[in-house]
Amino acid sequence: MVDFLIGLFLASLIVALFTTRLYRLLLWYSLNSLTLGLLALTIGSNIDDDGMLVTGVITILIKAVGIPYILKNLSQKFHFVRQITPEIKVQYAIMLVPAILVFTFYLSEPIVNMIHTNANYVAISISSLFLSLLLMMEHSNVAPKIIGFLTLENSLFLLGITATNGMPMLVELGIFFDLLMAIVVINLLFHKEEMKV
Amino acid sequence: MILYLLTLVLLVFIAPILLSYIKAVKMVLLFKRPISLMQGYRNFSKLLTKETIISKESSAITHYAPFLVLSPLLVTMFFLPPVVEGAYYVSFVDAFTITGLISLSTFFLMLLGLDSASAFGGMGSSREAFISALVEPAMVLTIFSVSLMADNLGVGQAGVNLAQHFPKEHMASYLFAGISFFILLIAENGRIPVDNPETHLELTMVHEAMILDLSGVYLAIIESASSIKFVIFASLFASLFMPFGLEFSAPIAFVIFILKLFIIATFVALLEVNTAKLRLFKIPNLLGLSIVFAFLSLITFYVLGA
Repeated sequence: MVDFLIGLFLASLIVALFTTRLYRLLLWYSLNSLTLGLLALTIGSNIDDDGMLVTGVITILIKAVGIPYILKNLSQKFHFVRQITPEIKVQYAIMLVPAILVFTFYLSEPIVNMIHTNANYVAISISSLFLSLLLMMEHSNVAPKIIGFLTLENSLFLLGITATNGMPMLVELGIFFDLLMAIVVINLLFHKEEMKV
Repeated sequence: MILYLLTLVLLVFIAPILLSYIKAVKMVLLFKRPISLMQGYRNFSKLLTKETIISKESSAITHYAPFLVLSPLLVTMFFLPPVVEGAYYVSFVDAFTITGLISLSTFFLMLLGLDSASAFGGMGSSREAFISALVEPAMVLTIFSVSLMADNLGVGQAGVNLAQHFPKEHMASYLFAGISFFILLIAENGRIPVDNPETHLELTMVHEAMILDLSGVYLAIIESASSIKFVIFASLFASLFMPFGLEFSAPIAFVIFILKLFIIATFVALLEVNTAKLRLFKIPNLLGLSIVFAFLSLITFYVLGA
């Protein structure tokens, strides 16, 4: 089950790399966060960690529903460009994505040797880290860059829950507030941009 | 042996029903009155009684090609994984054979399009060549990675192995292979994001452009070939990616298999209603995604074993 969800996590990220529409990108981000939340719930119930269950529920509520909704509202308010064409052409991305995956799978081998439980998940979360960096790189508009930042945070979170069998709940809540603050700051930035025009 | 033959007969007879079912689901969702599930048979019998007219410019290829389009697909049907436990199956046929047979059929379809000497036929053939060249590597990679997960290179044996031992430990790469194969199912059968089977607009035609000049018996043969191609892909998907229900007794297993085919058809119909057709030069993006997923499935299986 965990393998299936982690596959879905990586799959939604890869599909997001090839998307050219903003709302579709928000949908993929939402799916990505939903699988992350379900993953946290599954691992949490496997290792009997109540804190991780709470984190999973908060992830689903905030990241899978809240943030895409807010971003969609923002994009309607400030008339974002909804057609987002990646700067990296698709034919190069087709070569680049597998190259990144192979590179990171071999890169994470020493780490995988150190960790005994859930070794594969670490490799997949590091590769999704690189893929979300690529998502930030390949767009010149600000909205997809924000999504890239948010998926970067998602994959860090995945690394946290799979590599360490759950961080202290305080840290995770701190990360959530960080994220919310980032959204507020992004909102303020847009307001400022609006004032200039 | 009887179960094997029964499976073949079932697949041949359910093929037109599946395509009519997709059409009916789409019509229900668009608030139209749906066509009956027997419409495929009605069209077939109607076409058999019609006169066959062949263009003056066409050569002997037009007389042979419809049969050569149908026969590789019929041969492929013999190699599919078994539906019922205890049924006879061919265990040594691997990904290359199945892909090769399907592309042999596509090759003769393209020849047929060129042979009619109309502008439409050549255009359709070139488009079909463009799409099928991108489909083949992804299909070989996908079937290979599934057969590796099932521990046997033969497709029929892989289906049996998957049913006996579901690859729980390789769920991630199994999922990637499933996504890739579903994209291939849509692309190779000319369903909506890639090709619209219902229109005769010159901008959207791929499959229809090649068979525009055909009529009568030849058209009936080509139409049944395209429905058999869909049933081949759907049953490959059903036995490789939904490997359950094999262990029941024969009638129940058949019912479960038919249900699986209808579930796949429903998914295809829902996708068709919800998406617009892609521009022709956007199709490599979709198929590139499928190649990425196929490669990813293989790499995840090899390096991580996940």
